[in-house]
Amino acid sequence: MKISRYWLFLLVGVILVGIVLMSPVLAQEKMVRMALKASDIRSLDPHFGTTTIDYACIDPMFNGLVRFKPGDIDPDKIQPDLAERWERSKDGLVWTFYLRKGVKFHKGYGELTAEDVKFSLEKAANKATSGFAADYSALDKVEVIDKYTVRLTFKSAIPSVLGILTNYHGGYIVSKKAVEERGDKFKFDPIGTGPFMLSEYVPKEKVAEVRNPDYFRGKAKLDRIEFWFMPDASSREMAFRNNEIDIVEGEREQAWVNKMRQVPGTTMEIFGPGELLVLFFNTTKKPLDDIRVRKAMSYAINVKELMTFLGPDVTEKLVSPIPMDYLGGTDKVPHYEFNPTKTKQLLAEAGYPKGFDLPMVMTEMSDYRRPMEQIQEQLRRVGINLKMDVITHSAYHEQIRKDVDPLVLYVCARFPVADSLLTQFYYSKSIVGTPTAITNFSHYNKIDDLIEKARVETDPNKQKALWAEAQVKIMEDAVAVPLCITKFVFAKKNYVDLGYDLKSTLTLSPNINETTDIRKK
Amino acid sequence: MPPISQRALLIKTLKGNKISLVGGVMVILLVTVALIAPWVSPYNPVEQDIGVQLAPPSWAHPFGADSYGRDQLSRILWGSRVSLVVGILSVLFAMAAGIPIGMIGGFKGGRIDSLVLRFIDIFMSFPIVILGLLVLAIMGPGLLKIVIAIGVALTPRIARLARGSTLAIKGKEFIEAARAVGQNDGKIMLIHVLPNIFGDILVMGTLWVATAIIVEASLSFIGLGVRPPTPSWGAMIRDGLDQLTNAPWLSIFAGLAIFVSVFAFNLIADGLRDISDPKLRG
Amino acid sequence: MLKYTIRRIVLVLPTLWAVVTVVFFLIRIVPGGPAVAALGSYATEESIKELEKKMGLDRPILVQYGSFLKDLCRGELGKSLITNKPLSAEIAKALPYTLDLTFGGMLIGIVLGIPIGILTAVKRNRLPDYVGRILSLVGISMPEFYLGILLMFIFSIKLGIFPVLGGGNFNVLSSRLYHLALPALTLGLIMTAFISRMVRSSMLNVLREDYVRTARAKGLHERVVIYKHALRNALIPTVTVIGIYMSILMGGSVLTEIIFSRPGLGKMMVFAVKDRDYIALQSVIIVFSSFVFLFNLLTDLLYGIIDPRIEYR
Repeated sequence: MKISRYWLFLLVGVILVGIVLMSPVLAQEKMVRMALKASDIRSLDPHFGTTTIDYACIDPMFNGLVRFKPGDIDPDKIQPDLAERWERSKDGLVWTFYLRKGVKFHKGYGELTAEDVKFSLEKAANKATSGFAADYSALDKVEVIDKYTVRLTFKSAIPSVLGILTNYHGGYIVSKKAVEERGDKFKFDPIGTGPFMLSEYVPKEKVAEVRNPDYFRGKAKLDRIEFWFMPDASSREMAFRNNEIDIVEGEREQAWVNKMRQVPGTTMEIFGPGELLVLFFNTTKKPLDDIRVRKAMSYAINVKELMTFLGPDVTEKLVSPIPMDYLGGTDKVPHYEFNPTKTKQLLAEAGYPKGFDLPMVMTEMSDYRRPMEQIQEQLRRVGINLKMDVITHSAYHEQIRKDVDPLVLYVCARFPVADSLLTQFYYSKSIVGTPTAITNFSHYNKIDDLIEKARVETDPNKQKALWAEAQVKIMEDAVAVPLCITKFVFAKKNYVDLGYDLKSTLTLSPNINETTDIRKK
Repeated sequence: MPPISQRALLIKTLKGNKISLVGGVMVILLVTVALIAPWVSPYNPVEQDIGVQLAPPSWAHPFGADSYGRDQLSRILWGSRVSLVVGILSVLFAMAAGIPIGMIGGFKGGRIDSLVLRFIDIFMSFPIVILGLLVLAIMGPGLLKIVIAIGVALTPRIARLARGSTLAIKGKEFIEAARAVGQNDGKIMLIHVLPNIFGDILVMGTLWVATAIIVEASLSFIGLGVRPPTPSWGAMIRDGLDQLTNAPWLSIFAGLAIFVSVFAFNLIADGLRDISDPKLRG
Repeated sequence: MLKYTIRRIVLVLPTLWAVVTVVFFLIRIVPGGPAVAALGSYATEESIKELEKKMGLDRPILVQYGSFLKDLCRGELGKSLITNKPLSAEIAKALPYTLDLTFGGMLIGIVLGIPIGILTAVKRNRLPDYVGRILSLVGISMPEFYLGILLMFIFSIKLGIFPVLGGGNFNVLSSRLYHLALPALTLGLIMTAFISRMVRSSMLNVLREDYVRTARAKGLHERVVIYKHALRNALIPTVTVIGIYMSILMGGSVLTEIIFSRPGLGKMMVFAVKDRDYIALQSVIIVFSSFVFLFNLLTDLLYGIIDPRIEYR
């Protein structure tokens, strides 16, 4: 009798243990783990987040008055988000937005009202509380008309009003109550209206977000998202292979794409808008003050070879300083087709028959360094020796703004309207080393009038023509060499269904939203 | 006089001691390779050939090609120049700085010695790589700056060694004798102390060259080494790390090169130590 | 004994302060400030200056130093300039991983190194000795990041036995050990080489001593001679060296943590220098140096206990 009772207890015990062990399998969370090429986030406050990792973590937690169609940054496809509909005045200076009702902020911070929108936009427009205040310089005032109606008044017309109100940069709407309550802590514990909300942030390791049960578009399909910080390319790759990561940021090169395609169960996500690689000549530094030298170097650069080096899957042609798919981009510009003979001619004319040496700084970050090493080789072949000092990425961004270097390579994406690039890189007020500096490394100042006119031009065709003229001038004066566009490269497990077609996104990583799901493995 | 016969003894036993002989031969080979690399390399180490990106080892490229299509064999041959130059020069720097510091501290004693000890303690509490990284970050990249960075990191260690050796012979008779004769401290240190401690330091010196080579590789590995496109074994390992799954030969051969060089210097150091420590002979 | 310990601790403090001060001023000479690191490619001249003001970096340097020391005395390690989060928490999270790695590596080094050292000493100039000595030479010539890469290649990539991602969940023992295995093995194998050489040479010294000869003459069994008499004395210099090696190990953890993507102090240091996060670098180095000093102190005391000849005034 006693013995059999023991066996009974044992059996029950085993079954219980079995159930306990089984339950993690049964109650498996639907989770997507993304690994990004960063060591840490800078800020989860959407008005300060500026790096890919920031964007990736911020996007699932916030909405804007309007949003880009998921997976497509075409400004014509912008859709309603927090605003159901809107009206604009004839002169385009007054915009009225009618908000959705019943939109709830995370974690019990109440309903979204016009007060929040006013607060949020004013925060975005304020230099002290936003890194994107410059985008809102034309915004005059934001008025609360009633609980669900907001009116924006602009001082002057800008190329795209909806552009600065999308789910990007300053357009993200934050909770007034939360910002006022949390103050500085908001940066790492923000409150928004998005399909996901912050669960935890482990410095130098990851950000975890969980489903927002009150999301106005319905509960997200996923329970949880984890964004892992993995700056090391090989660890990222191996974590993906070992199924410890579901989506991984890749290297923007063919070799990586080919390599990852081989991993079973993998889909490559290669998408736009891509980042422009542009090489800027500082026209105040010898010998680059001589246009013949600049043209010589432009002829020496073999863009085809560069694009082969980086890979056909990953690159797109860039003939003008403004990409074709930006509003105002054109390919009808003067072009310096690869021609080493012309290079030698022009160099000789300018007094450098044997070439010359040029110092420059370069960041260790592979997106910049690797193309630059290829170009360094191309220039070496014609006798131009680049003495490249590799420094850390932060030191690089500081150094190039000191107006010391003759050559600057810049890689970036901006809001897809010509004005953003023209202003930041080719407008005289943006010249580096001046108080209002942005990133005009070349000291170019010959298209100021075109830029200013185009900004306030209300006829879209006339506007495009002005922008086209500006691009032609830039190329004629050879102050920069547009190299190519490198698309963003991610590898994704087949069982992750993003829920939309990913063509391009300003988040620079595959957006995880309420439609993203895990297919049965 | 002690130093001369010590040297003669050294050379004689060196020839007889198999271990350091092998090490010596390897180092001579290494130096030779470094010297003749420009003439022996099949390709220009910086020349890129996009067509052979990441090519596996073949007759055309015995060690394969890297992600820019540059020949690995040529880069490894040329890389030896960087490693040796940095390795040897940085140790020389550390000796030039560290020996005087350690010797003066050990010899003078008292407050000066405390100061020296304090200095050694402070700088030795940093891992070599971190100190090197800090110095490099301040001065910027470049071959000379790396030599200085590693040299600075090694200085306290050599200073400590010099101090220890100085203390060991401070009480010896010939020092007392020299003092009795009226020689001033400076002269005593230069003429009597230095030659006697030099033997110890030389042995350790070879070891430190090995360490310096590893530190240079580590710094290049972290990403702040010599200017591209100059080949550096550490940078080659790092670039190869990204391709470990599809082109493992890149990291493996570059690492092997470091390992072999360091191994050679350690062999010599071992042999030298076997010699200088009579109890271990036979 | 206690007095000696206290005196040693007190003597260490000024050195620690000096280390901190050196780091403080050194890293401020470094070009590239943390504001730019934080802003990245969107950094405009204005935004950099704004952020620097917020970080308190525009105050005169002595004021910054003063406030830093004040915080330190309160036990506050400051806030990271980049994330603005308290560093004590971050360091507290990373430290256990580094300690795991250091102790794990040392453990492997001792467990493997001592027997090999004894073997090569006892079987001197015979095959096991040659094999052992060559292997140990290989071990000390191997850069730790290369060995780490090789092990990773063989065990993680080719055989898929060990994971790649980070340090694992510290609170779950299995995960913690699983992620510790390869990194600890990397450092441990190198430690084995160092320790076995040390043990070998001190054993050889001891085996020559008179009392060993006496023990043998007495007719004692060889094994008793070795383990009871020789080994204990041979271990004394080994113990002193282990203290130094602990510091070397902690330094070696820097690259190992980077390769295996493992959280830890070493990795924090490298990133702090790269990001110009002055405060983080200072704090991590303070903690790091404290442990180095602690290990040295422990070794001193241990040496005093083991070697009966030492007396502490």
